[in-house]
Amino acid sequence: MTRSTRHLCVLVVEDETLIRWSIAETLAQKGHRVVEASDARGAVRALSSEAEQIDVVLLDYRLPDSDDLGLLKNVRRLSPESAVVMMTAFGTPEVTKDALDLGAYRVLNKPFDIHGIEPLLQEAHDSRSGASTRPH
Amino acid sequence: MLAVSYVQARSVDILDPKDRAGRVLRALIDSAVDGIIVIDAQGRIESFNPAAERLFGHRQEEVVGRNVTMLMPSPYREEHDRYLSRYLETGHAKIIGIGREVTGLRRDGTTFPLHLSVGEMMVGSERKFIGIVHDLTERTKLIEQLRGSEERWRSVIESAVDGIVVIDSNGRIEAFNPAAERLFGYQVSELLGRNVNVLMPSPYHEEHDGYLARYLATGEAKIIGIGREVMGRRRDGTTFPLQLSVGEMSIGGERKFTGILHDLTARVRMEEQLREQASLVRLGEMAAVIAHEIKNPLAGIRGAVQVIGGRLPADSREAAVTGEIISRIDTLNGLIQDLLLFARPPQPKPTLVDVSSLISTTVDLLIRDTALSEIDIQVEGASAPVVADPELLKIVFQNLIVNGAQAMRGKGRIRVSIGASDVACEIRFIDAGPGIPPDIRQKIFTPFFTTKARGTGLGLPTARRLVEAHGGTIHVECPLAGGTTVTIRLPVDRVAASIRADGPVLERGSIEP
Repeated sequence: MTRSTRHLCVLVVEDETLIRWSIAETLAQKGHRVVEASDARGAVRALSSEAEQIDVVLLDYRLPDSDDLGLLKNVRRLSPESAVVMMTAFGTPEVTKDALDLGAYRVLNKPFDIHGIEPLLQEAHDSRSGASTRPH
Repeated sequence: MLAVSYVQARSVDILDPKDRAGRVLRALIDSAVDGIIVIDAQGRIESFNPAAERLFGHRQEEVVGRNVTMLMPSPYREEHDRYLSRYLETGHAKIIGIGREVTGLRRDGTTFPLHLSVGEMMVGSERKFIGIVHDLTERTKLIEQLRGSEERWRSVIESAVDGIVVIDSNGRIEAFNPAAERLFGYQVSELLGRNVNVLMPSPYHEEHDGYLARYLATGEAKIIGIGREVMGRRRDGTTFPLQLSVGEMSIGGERKFTGILHDLTARVRMEEQLREQASLVRLGEMAAVIAHEIKNPLAGIRGAVQVIGGRLPADSREAAVTGEIISRIDTLNGLIQDLLLFARPPQPKPTLVDVSSLISTTVDLLIRDTALSEIDIQVEGASAPVVADPELLKIVFQNLIVNGAQAMRGKGRIRVSIGASDVACEIRFIDAGPGIPPDIRQKIFTPFFTTKARGTGLGLPTARRLVEAHGGTIHVECPLAGGTTVTIRLPVDRVAASIRADGPVLERGSIEP
């Protein structure tokens, strides 16, 4: 399957403002639409109120109001169509395995190469849309 | 003189019953506890008092006129006549005027130990001998009991697991049991009479005489009757911890001290290991918190600098600086990774590993590094597969090879030799560097100890933790010929050796630096 390069709608859930800013800047530059949330509540609100379909959720493991995989479960339930990529500053192999089991596409260790984000999100999106017949 | 006149009187039977001295003498002899026997120069018995009658079971009438040898068992019986005639010829005394322990023969044929003292006298022109016989039966029995008792106590002391040392009031060693010999590496013969402070390291070595004198003067006990943990000093100068309990005793009015010494080396080592484990657990918890608190902002800084750098003209000085900032961030992140790996090593995910090919893979990866471009790494030997986590072993091999290369200042040959026995796979990393001085060699596995200007001091401690997590051991030697040899031994599981090897375990995100 060839990788599509269409513009995505990405929800970035991250409380560290520099990370959120640099991801948003990088994605916006490539023409993607970015929705930002700084905690779990904001993420849930965005998923339930956003008119546009969120293609990919970039989700921090530890947030001010969430530090387990409960939010990931919530995201999967609220928006089963969205691909999820998790970010963590200290991911044990156990957490990584559980996140992947819950349907995350990848668990990304911080810090990371910002230029690698966009291709990774495309890849994550392709992995879901490849399985679905939903027209874009 | 009394005896002489009595014998004289008896033998010629002219004792005057009205003679007061004679009557006293007779009563004395008759009532004596010891046997008194008089013989003539031919050995014939002339007189035999009531105590002798009781001792030998003969009546006086039965023995008078007969040879005294009848009171002796063989071989004395046969030899006595010759003794006597030789004495009469040469005057060479073996028992006369001296006394000794001999054996007596009773009428019923039984024998008994006795002390015989013999005196000589002249009655007119006749030579006579007077023997005083003291029964030793009870004393001998007592001595045997004492000997038995002493043997029992001696065997208790000799076989004791703890060291036992007896000193006198001047601190001189009087007894030193085999356990103490083993503890201190001395032979008892080397120590008897020496000051007990030879078994103590400074400052106790110098202070012990003072302690002892103070105790003897004031009775103020610091250790006697109490016991405490002290350090012992072996013959070779090394020291070890021991529990010392001291008791005091008095033998024949002399004060002595008995020390019982229990070796604490194993216990202290175990306590140290437990302490070390506890501190590693604490360090692990700390590292996890620190890692999160540092990596999160590092990720923010790295991302933001990358975004800003991307907006600067590609060939500008500022763009180059942002590149430098990113490489510093990655170094910092590497340090945190190293700390985490040491403080919280992952649980090994064991598969069957071919050590030889894993080392070759590791070497191939390493020689791409410019810092190792002038290092020649030679891998030799092979072993059966070991059950291990290949990703963790790779880290161990990397650390050791990089250490060796740095020791040789980036130039030279490192030999990696693989050998195997039934129970272990042995991997030696042999470099030709300058070796490690002995004082530093003790610390090389201590976390954060480093001799390098830029080094975390975690390479070897991490290697050791990872090897130990595999049930293996790691040793460092510096042979006299030079260089350093690090030896890793990994257990070979022969049952598991029949299981098929699986692929690599760790998966990593490709965009993580």
